[in-house]
Amino acid sequence: MGRRVAAPEDRTAMDVDISPLIENWQFILTGLGFTLSLSGLSIVLGVGIGLVCGVMRTYGGSLLDTAIGLYVDLLRSIPVLAILVWTYFAFPLVIGESLTPFSGGVLALGVHLGAYVTEVIRAGLTSIRPGQMRAALALGMSPLQAIRTIILPQALIRMLPPLGSLIVIAVKDSAIASVIAVPELLRQSQVLAGKTFRPFEIYTAAMLIYFLICYPTARTIDQIYRRFAPLGAS
Amino acid sequence: MITRAATVERPRIGSGAAPILRFEGVCKRYGPLEALAGVTFQVNRGEVVCLIGPSGSGKSTLLRCANALESIDGGRVILDGVDVHDRRTDARKLRRRMGMVFQNFELFPHLTVLRNVAVGPTTVLGMSPPKAAERAMELLRKVGLAEKASQHPAALSGGQQQRVAIARALAMQPDVMLFDEPTSALDPETIGEVLSVMKRLADEGMTMVVVTHEMDFAKRVGSWIVVFDHGKVVEQGPPRQVFEEPTVQRTRDFLSHLGWHGESLAASDLLVHSPSNTP
Repeated sequence: MGRRVAAPEDRTAMDVDISPLIENWQFILTGLGFTLSLSGLSIVLGVGIGLVCGVMRTYGGSLLDTAIGLYVDLLRSIPVLAILVWTYFAFPLVIGESLTPFSGGVLALGVHLGAYVTEVIRAGLTSIRPGQMRAALALGMSPLQAIRTIILPQALIRMLPPLGSLIVIAVKDSAIASVIAVPELLRQSQVLAGKTFRPFEIYTAAMLIYFLICYPTARTIDQIYRRFAPLGAS
Repeated sequence: MITRAATVERPRIGSGAAPILRFEGVCKRYGPLEALAGVTFQVNRGEVVCLIGPSGSGKSTLLRCANALESIDGGRVILDGVDVHDRRTDARKLRRRMGMVFQNFELFPHLTVLRNVAVGPTTVLGMSPPKAAERAMELLRKVGLAEKASQHPAALSGGQQQRVAIARALAMQPDVMLFDEPTSALDPETIGEVLSVMKRLADEGMTMVVVTHEMDFAKRVGSWIVVFDHGKVVEQGPPRQVFEEPTVQRTRDFLSHLGWHGESLAASDLLVHSPSNTP
């Protein structure tokens, strides 16, 4: 209407066109699926490792403490990217069996996460005052029963905030698996951006999707913690 | 001395049968500290044995050694003929027979009051949850807290929490109840409700070992008093003897430090009036 319209070739960066996203939504969705399953499985593996190692490190005597301490310090001193690349390219030479990118990703991210969860669990267990263990033992419980029914539930409640941050970090770290070609969200975005020459739209959408997974997760864990926090205070 | 000779001492409760719990020269050290230096005394069935003495004299340590929560460095603890600290002994089985009540209650904060009482029977005895809940409810009624069953411990007062802790220990149907300063962490106004539950328990014939600073309770409810100092038993005997005619200077010092003198004891209307003090 008489107003001057900017020439499109001058403003290519701001010329937003979301049609590649709409046309390739299934491609993106596949990536999202891999992101969720990769981070989900690595969280399950990491929390599993962390629970076992955290309990063993706390109650298992000095030998286990030293051994698990070594695992924790080692894994925490190496970049997760290096761990991932090593697991996918070098570890198969050790076991003489090749790994798929996905299983390599789950393994590397899970073992890495496990080191951090171990320390969180240990901190939680040692924060429960010793009288709780004495009370459980005095009832005739075995140490394992006492840990399972009395100590660990309280520790987990107390440890929800740090566990929540680790879980959110695990979701974000799953993007690193793009370097070993796991077709997760970031990898799919890279491929799509290369094909459509629309990096702005596609990477922005990827960021938004990560945010939409991680933010509600963090808030939900926070809400759960607020609700149960009094039950962890002995 | 003349009055004392004239007083006919009743025989000690349960003295005819073998003692349920016996401490034989129990020693315990923490590094250079000798917490228990050869403690010997026994607890007969149906007795309320009160352990008194200054803080740090080893009373609570002894209680923990009784159910093997602490190891010992010498001597023996015998529960109903079984050496508690023998390596072949299953400490878990023995602990079931000794209920323990702690100074800081140590209720499980993540469980409801009902589950606190039921968790022992379900976890340790493998009792079905409904049956354990039934037993727990019965015990909560006994300590007057049935209406709190579905609450969590944090919602209860200190005295109520300690009554729940007593119910929790009773749920295992123990032969002996061990009380480790059960009222020391309580507000003065809630001490009474805990002591009255304990008194009722004693009246029902429960064997009890009570570490306490409540001299009034020890005098009225205790059937045998053991006085500790520096990890040793300095004196033991029936309440009347220990409180009114202590034979050892250390006991006299301890009691007078607490403001308990022979005269004030006799004058106190809280106490059972003892005929030997009647003028």
